[in-house]
Amino acid sequence: MKSRFLFPYWCRYLGWGLVLLHVPLSMLGRARGMVNVLDKPSTGLFTGEHLFFICTSLVMVSGLFLVAFAKEKVEDEQIWQIRLDSLRWAIFINYLALIVSLVFIEDVGHMLDLNLYVPLVFFIIRFRWVIFRLNLSTSREG
Amino acid sequence: MKNNIRVERAIKNITQGELAEQVGVSRQTINTIESNKYVPSTVLALKIARVFGKPLEEVFMLEEGD
Repeated sequence: MKSRFLFPYWCRYLGWGLVLLHVPLSMLGRARGMVNVLDKPSTGLFTGEHLFFICTSLVMVSGLFLVAFAKEKVEDEQIWQIRLDSLRWAIFINYLALIVSLVFIEDVGHMLDLNLYVPLVFFIIRFRWVIFRLNLSTSREG
Repeated sequence: MKNNIRVERAIKNITQGELAEQVGVSRQTINTIESNKYVPSTVLALKIARVFGKPLEEVFMLEEGD
C-alpha cells in the first residue's frame, strides 16, 4: 500500500514530545506575564507577546500535526479507511463547532483557536479510539 | 460479502499473522475480514485468493442483499 503524504512512524513520538513541550512553555510564558493575544485587544504584529503566541501555537500545532499524520507500523488499506473516516468526522465536528460558535458567541477571536485545534484533536482521538477497539477485538478473538 | 478465509487457512495450516505477512497487511485487517467486519479492496481480495491458489469466487462470495 503506497502511503504518500504521511510522515514516518517515528514522527509520532516527536509530535507527542512537541505537544508535551507546549505545556511548560505556556506556563513559563504565563508566569512572565504573557497572555494569549487572542484574549486581549491587539498589541501589534511581532511584539513580544505576539511572537510568544506564534511560537507556542506553532509548537502545539506542529506536534498535533505530526501525531495525526504519522504512519502506523503497518499502514494498510483498513488503516487508510479509518483515517479517512476520522478525517470526515473531524471536519464535520469542526464545522459544527464553528457554526454554533458563529451564531451564539459574539467574540470571533476564538475562531482561530477552534480551527487550529479542533480538527486535529478530534481526528487523533477518533482515529486512536477506533484502532484501540480494533486491536482489542483482535486480541479477544485470538 | 462473506468469505471462506478461516476454512482456507485451516486447510493450508497458516495463522492470521502469516497470511497477513504474505499479503502485506496487519493481522487486525485479516481478522476483521474473516469476521465480515471489513470488506477488502479488489486488490487485497485477489492477493488473498492467490495465497490459497484458488479463484476469487471460491474464497469470497456475495450474500443476499449485496
